[in-house]
Amino acid sequence: MTAPTLEIENISKFYGNINALQDITTSVDAGKVTCVLGDNGAGKSTFIKILAGAHKQSEGTIRMDGEEVNFNSPRDALAKGIATVYQDLAMVPLMSVWRNFFLGAEPTKSFGPFKWIDVDTAKRVAKEEMAKMGIDIRDTEQPVGTLSGGERQSVAIARAAYFGAKVLILDEPTSALGVKQSGVVLKYIVAARQRGLAVIFITHNPHHAWPVGDRFMILNRGRSLGNFAKDEITRDELVTMMAGGAELEELTHELESA
Amino acid sequence: MSDENSTAVADATSDERLAYRGVFQRLLVRPEIGAIIGAIAIWIFFWAVSVPFGTAGGASNILDLSATLGIMAVAVSMLMIGGEFDLSSGAATGALGIATILLVKDTGALGGAGLNMSIAIPLSLALALFIGWFNGTMVERTSLPSFIVTLGTFFILKGAKLGISKLVVDQIQVGRIDEGAGYSFWRKIFASEWQRNDHQFGSRDFFYTLGIVGGFALLVLAVHEYNYARRKVLNNAGAALTAVAFAGGIAGIVILHATDNTGGNYLGGIVIAVSTLVGLFGFGWWRFEPVAQRGNLHIDQQVSKSFGLGLGLVALGAISAVTLDSASSSDFFLLITEQGLRAMLFVGLTSAGITFMIIGVRQASTTNPLTKSTGLAVLATTIAAIAFLVRSESASPKFRGAAFSLLLVGALLALSWAVTSSCFEERRFAHTAADNTGRLLALVGSLMVLGGAVVRLLFTTAAEIERGISPAKFSVRIVWFLSVAGVATWVLGRTKFGSWTFAVGGNKDAARQVGVPAARTKTQLFMIVSSAAWLVGLLLAFRLNTLQSGTGDGLEFEYIIAAVVGGTMLTGGYGSAFGGAIGAVIMAISKAGIPFSGWNSDWRFVFLGGILLLAVIANNFIRDKAEASR
Repeated sequence: MTAPTLEIENISKFYGNINALQDITTSVDAGKVTCVLGDNGAGKSTFIKILAGAHKQSEGTIRMDGEEVNFNSPRDALAKGIATVYQDLAMVPLMSVWRNFFLGAEPTKSFGPFKWIDVDTAKRVAKEEMAKMGIDIRDTEQPVGTLSGGERQSVAIARAAYFGAKVLILDEPTSALGVKQSGVVLKYIVAARQRGLAVIFITHNPHHAWPVGDRFMILNRGRSLGNFAKDEITRDELVTMMAGGAELEELTHELESA
Repeated sequence: MSDENSTAVADATSDERLAYRGVFQRLLVRPEIGAIIGAIAIWIFFWAVSVPFGTAGGASNILDLSATLGIMAVAVSMLMIGGEFDLSSGAATGALGIATILLVKDTGALGGAGLNMSIAIPLSLALALFIGWFNGTMVERTSLPSFIVTLGTFFILKGAKLGISKLVVDQIQVGRIDEGAGYSFWRKIFASEWQRNDHQFGSRDFFYTLGIVGGFALLVLAVHEYNYARRKVLNNAGAALTAVAFAGGIAGIVILHATDNTGGNYLGGIVIAVSTLVGLFGFGWWRFEPVAQRGNLHIDQQVSKSFGLGLGLVALGAISAVTLDSASSSDFFLLITEQGLRAMLFVGLTSAGITFMIIGVRQASTTNPLTKSTGLAVLATTIAAIAFLVRSESASPKFRGAAFSLLLVGALLALSWAVTSSCFEERRFAHTAADNTGRLLALVGSLMVLGGAVVRLLFTTAAEIERGISPAKFSVRIVWFLSVAGVATWVLGRTKFGSWTFAVGGNKDAARQVGVPAARTKTQLFMIVSSAAWLVGLLLAFRLNTLQSGTGDGLEFEYIIAAVVGGTMLTGGYGSAFGGAIGAVIMAISKAGIPFSGWNSDWRFVFLGGILLLAVIANNFIRDKAEASR
């Protein structure tokens, strides 16, 4: 068996005397989706920031394809093949689709000392890559702000895939969306998985996680409640765990007796 | 090319969700379109009230005033697109000019470094870059609003100018750059002038007419190309008809030139009008798909309401123009004579009426092509009627001549649009090849119009000098202005740096997230602004020879106003450098126009404020429209 694309082993993060994360272990393979579930304050954002290179873990190791790696900055993580798509920071709304798609890595043509963007190539590639995600954008000059929330996420996903990301981290891509739009984003996640990306899907909604996930890791108050492959856990168990299990039962009693 | 065909088919089949945007709707998406329309409207306004405004002298005045303002406005637009302000930009122009003079000047024991200009000018550029770097680094390091940081720099520069001037030359004015070494060479670069009266060009009017007429013809054809569906197979009979009409047009012009009586003029005019109509129809017949189903004339309530209102307003305007006595010229309200009131009533009512009729045409176009064409024909007739009214009523030859022919041409264009649009199918899908042809035609047409206008501005003829035309001179600063505007537009639209500028202004965190060096981009933008200030400082120094220490203070708000008028958003992320240049031209037109029209120049600021408010409202409206129509 080959090593997983991204392997996280016993990661902890301390901010002063606060343990934001403790002993987290999980992994993701190419062409698989690992869902990280957790309520607010469970440590999801700390987890993302460590993987995206914004913070450094206090303890533990991260391995990519079996080799230990250290991320010094978000740029470094990106260069090593980890692309993070944040829910609200993904796009510049007033800029066109193709400019957003290539932002920071524009294809250029040059003549002597002059360098300019190869607009035709950029537009064509953006259109093709969006088509691969199943979105037909007729006019890539359209500002991203006029796209729907789901389509915006998909531009970011398509961009990450095009620029050779091996691991795609999605931060709550469905939380601000309606039911239908969430379904659209889930489809893009499946599309990204089929293109051979290793996807880490962070969410607080087990109903979104269950249909796309191959592996589930549940976070609660900075600790892992378990790291399950899909055949080790049922949907109901996942929902109960996510809802807080015993805590919820206690709350039900309290509310009923009041 | 087989590839071309396949893209056209793909374009035609893949857009069932998105409606095709018409040519005018697509134009409205540009951020600077409001400013361009505004500039033309304000220019016409001053052209109407003042006699010398429309001459080469007036134009040179406007361009001269817009040059220094415009160079800064372009740079400030870029910075504002990047989401920052620079309040020190005005003071920096004066500071860098003074710094250069002090480096060049040699005043004995105390003052001046006495350097050669070829050393001093690069040195002051280095100083400029340092100021920009300082602003940018301070803003980025402290993450304070640039408003506060550059306000600080503004006071530092203002004080330093005063203090150093006093210290070095013991005066608040620093002067005599012309005494420096290397002056004669650098003067050519920063202050040479083109004297129009020294440059005669016999066949100027030929080139002017060719440029304007040919250019506008190409622009009209470009709109056709954008607007109508192309034929699969070209129709040669149509091409022949176009050629005949073209010959007819030339014949008409020859008649106009050869004869000098009213009858000849009418004959020439009619020949030109008929050949224009025939030519445009023939062109359409040659290239575009004929309308399959004509449909019946269908006038609904909305259409008749708009048209009724429009016709009523035009009639009211005409009545007010005829009934108010044109001979009396007593002041009865502020600066406005009865004649002025008459003109304002006439222009206001008729233009409102025409606007309503255009709205009516747009409403009619949703029902069927025939209704639209009928509406356009009514519009054309109305404009022609107004033209004849202007001709018979107006006392000034400018209006009898220029306004009359302009209105007639407008009427003719509306009429030919009516004829062609009732005969040919409008395009409802994207067609890459047609769009490319249209773009090429529009480009060549605009260049021809521009070339015609430039020839007319730069050269004079023997006949004009005989009539005693007042001299006009064009400074090299206009060339600087145009080059800066052109380069900035290219940089913003076509380079990585331009894309990054929009990105850091639009959503800095997202830009940083995908690897755009946000801090570096912003710092470079500040350095662009300070380099522009350096250029303007030199232009001022070489023009005035002596700079006051207060030079440029307070002008930073004018730069910001020009950028906003040009369609740049105050919050960043949207706008254009070209728009900033147009904004500067608008401000220059109002600055130059108010004294030209004999009003007290104190009114300038009232005018400026009005323009700013109007521009912001109009830009917001256009942007909302554009976003909604995508």
